[in-house]
Order: sequence, then C-alpha cells, then structure tokens
Amino acid sequence: MSNLIDLEEPKDTGHDMRAEIRRTSERVRARRVATSRIMVVLCSVALLVAAVPLVLLMYQLFKQGLGQINWKFFTTLPTTPTLIDPTGTGGISNDIIGTIALTVYASIVAIPLGVLVGVYLAETDSKLATTLRVVSQTMAGAPSILMGLFAFSLIVHDLNVGFSSIAGAFALAVLMLPVIIISTEIAVRNVPLTLREAGLALGAKSHKVSLGIVLPSALTGIVTGVILAISRAVGETAPVLLVIGGGYTNSWKPFDPVSSMPLAIFENAKSEWPSQRAQVWGIALVLVIFVFILSLTARIWASRKQQVRN
Amino acid sequence: MTEIKTEVQSSSPAERGPIAMQLHDVAVSFHGRVAVRDCTFDVAKNRVTSLIGPSGSGKTTLLRALNRLHDLTPGAKVSGKITLEGTDIYRGNLTVTELRTRVGMVFQRPNPFPTMSIYDNVVSGLRFNGVKKKSLLDESAEASLRSAALWDSVSSRLKVAASNLSGGEQQRLCIARALALDPEVLLMDEPTSALDPIATLHIEELMKDLKSRVTVIIVTHNMQQAARISDDCAFLLMGEDRAGELIEFDTTEKIFNNPDDSRTLDYTLGRFG
Repeated sequence: MSNLIDLEEPKDTGHDMRAEIRRTSERVRARRVATSRIMVVLCSVALLVAAVPLVLLMYQLFKQGLGQINWKFFTTLPTTPTLIDPTGTGGISNDIIGTIALTVYASIVAIPLGVLVGVYLAETDSKLATTLRVVSQTMAGAPSILMGLFAFSLIVHDLNVGFSSIAGAFALAVLMLPVIIISTEIAVRNVPLTLREAGLALGAKSHKVSLGIVLPSALTGIVTGVILAISRAVGETAPVLLVIGGGYTNSWKPFDPVSSMPLAIFENAKSEWPSQRAQVWGIALVLVIFVFILSLTARIWASRKQQVRN
Repeated sequence: MTEIKTEVQSSSPAERGPIAMQLHDVAVSFHGRVAVRDCTFDVAKNRVTSLIGPSGSGKTTLLRALNRLHDLTPGAKVSGKITLEGTDIYRGNLTVTELRTRVGMVFQRPNPFPTMSIYDNVVSGLRFNGVKKKSLLDESAEASLRSAALWDSVSSRLKVAASNLSGGEQQRLCIARALALDPEVLLMDEPTSALDPIATLHIEELMKDLKSRVTVIIVTHNMQQAARISDDCAFLLMGEDRAGELIEFDTTEKIFNNPDDSRTLDYTLGRFG
C-alpha cells in the first residue's frame, strides 16, 4: 500500500480495496442523503418563520389601509377632526405632493453627482478616490437622522432658508448619494476589461470609451442602484423630520414648508383622534404601493435590457 | 554562424517585399519582470505573420505591444524599438490614438459592444474618431461587413443588437469593426480559439482574402492554423527565467519544414507544448 504504483501488487488486494471504497462511498452517500433531507426541512421551517411577520404586516396593511383609500384621500388636504366631525381627517394630497417634490429635488442633485463620482471611483485609483470611497461607505451606514440634523443646522439654521422642501431634499440627497456612488462604482467595475480594450484598440480616447461604451454597458446596474436610492429616500422619515416643517398646503415650491407621507404617518400616529390614527394605515399603504411600483418598474426595465443583451 | 543562417534563409526580407512593421530588440516587462524579450523581426506588408509558441512564451504580450495596449497596464514597460512605416510608435511623431486606427486589433473572445446594434458596432471606430456623416458611415459599414463576409447574413438586420449574433458572426463583426478604420496592420490575438471548427474555417478563409489590403499579425496556439494561413512565422519560447523570447523567425514554410533551431522543430512536430 505504501507504493501506489507497485506493479507487483497481487490482484486480490486491489479487489479488496475496490470493495472497501464502494462500501465507504455507499455509507457516506446514505449519510449525505439523510443530512440533505434534514436540511431541506430546516430551511423550509426557517422560510415559514421568516415569512410570518411579512405576511402579517401585509395583511394588517391591506386590512386597515384599503378602507381609508378613496378619491378624496388623494385629492384633498388634511383636516383636523372636531367633536362635531370626529372622522373628518381629510386627504393627504399635500403629503403626496411633498413626497414627490422632495424626491424629485433630491434626485436632481444626487443622481448626476452620484453617478459621476461613482464613475470616477471606478476609473481611477488615486488617493482622492480611495478617500471618497471610504467616506461614501461610511456615509451609507450613517444613521439617517444625522442627515436631518446636518440639513437643519446648515440649510434651515445657518443659511437661514427655514423649514422647506429644499432643506428636506438636501438631507435626502446626502442620504441617496452613497447608495448611488457605491452601486455605480460596482456596475462600472463590472464592465469587462475586454470591452474597454476593444474601444481603445479602435483609437478611441479614454473619456470616449468611458462615456460611449462603459457607461451604457453599466447602465442597468446604475439604474438599479438609483431606483434603490430613490425608494429609500421616498420612505425616509428621520432626515426630513427636522427640516421640512410639515406644511399643510399643496406646494411644489422649493422654499415652502411641505409634508411627506412618512412624516404624516409619524405625526398622525401620535394623534389623540382614533380617526387620524386609523388614517395612518391608508398613508402607509399608498407609500408601500408607491415604492413597490418604483422597484417593479426598475426590475422590469433591467430585465428587458438584460434580455436584449443576451 | 550568422552568415550561414543568412545563407540558408529561404527568403530574405527583400524577397518578402516591403516592410509594414519592424521590431528591434523588443522586450516587455511588468513591474520589472520580463515577460518577453529579444524580439527582432520585420513584418512584411500584405502577408500574414503568425506568432506561435507554447503558453507563457509571450506571444500575446508581444502582440499587445504593437498597438500600445500595454499603456493601460500599470507597471508595464516596453523597451526596444517598434516602427510602423518607419515611424517609432513609442517615441515617434505618432499619437497613440492615431496608431490604433492604423493598427487594428481583433481579440481572443468576440467582444462586440453589447449595448450597440450591429451597425453601430461596425461604425463605432469611425464615430470615436469624429466621423459623423451618415452617408459615409453607411458606405463604410457595408464595405467593412462585406470584407468580413458578414454583409449577406446581416444586411437585413443591421439595427439588431450585436449580441444576437452567433460567436463566429460576432468575431467577424469585430473584424469588420476593425476594418472600418481601414488599418494598415491587423493584429489578431487567437481570434478563433473561442470558436467552433466551422466558424474557425470561415475566419481563416477571411484572413487569406484580407491580406491583399491589410497586413495581418496573428497569435495562435494552433500550429496547423499557423501552417495553413501564415506566410511568415515567429516562434517564441519561455526561457529558463520564465521570460518568453524569440527563438526563430522565418517564412512559415521554413519554420515548419526546415527550421534552424532544434527547439522549433520539436515544437512544430508536437514533441512539447
């Protein structure tokens, strides 16, 4: 046995060896089949346990929320219930407009800036790039109330802009930036080097290769990251809590105080009126559907793009 | 020794016609580590020159020095002298972008731009170099696709994404893309290694047709391919210190039938590699 290529070895030893190998492998196979079954059961149980809170949440959301929603819910301003009309909560038109305004203003700044920085990080290896990367990774993990605090002290207080959607948009943009930067960098880095080389081998200057080949090839990944950032911004309460002022008017103006759906949930949940507390579910449902449509659109778009490519 | 060699050579540079590119003592190193060295030979115009040798002998590394693709790699250094029509491509009065329009390249794996249509792929080189006139682009697209023997199968679907083509068609598209710039030299880095035998045959036939208008330098692992399609042949081998070096350069006929170096004979007979 010590010498594996000993040709003098008698035949029956080899026979024994083969039988033993077969016995061992059968034993191991049986054990693996058993382990596999146990693991499948464990995974299924884990899936059920994980799904329970999610299903309960969606059930609660639709059960309590659907009844709140009607046409007026979208088109009228909120009202405070009175003893004469204890159910007069009005609609959430200002919250919807505020949410859209905040997100749009934040996106206008954060998307181009984030994509450009992400491309820069992917294309260069300078000290500045390394620093920027560390900063954006840290920022991505920073608590979102911090952005609100920052926006409050800088925009609302120091620059004396006051409570406004522009201050909220600033906070949201700061929140969105790292998400966009990181996902753009990954998407750009994932573009195969061979494509870049193909462009350069055609005599293209490197900035033309970046814009004409690398960026379009990375677009699916970039858009996915952008939508992720927008979805996150739409649902954030903490960054806007301190700075948008909770306006009760339908205003698109950047320097007016506005409200947003998450903020309305936060405020109404504290209300002493049961009708206002119940309205919270309606707002939450609208918000969830809003985010769901956003991410669904992004997914469909991305998979279409992917299909075209394959 | 040198004298005898010159005598035995079946065709002198003069017989092989005018020179497209000249390599003199070319070496490429990465972070001080030599990858390939001692490469001195002339690439004759309108002929196919093959670079053969086992893995690690520096064929691809040498090829990529010819259009300055190593410029991108940090720590890469090309020494010696490479000229294109007499102009030093590293130190001469020639920008790297101009060089690359005159020395085109086809890569190992077909790499059409995935976000572009067939048409956009073919004219991408022209567009990168500032050509915008539609009629000119159309004309060049058709001519290039015809040269790459692809026009008949794609003329009706030029706006389709290039990724819909088969591997062999994609590689011919990449050839068309390189030809659109009307290069003097076409570098091909194992252009058929990712393709099936039929597609390989198509590309090989194409190369024979192409040499009337462009000088071809091809890296290949496949010795039969080198023997079939090339006129001249450079044999590279990895030395003791793991750096590739040129062992022999001559006409393909001589390299395969009557080489000067015994290692060349051993390799072409399949005794190693």
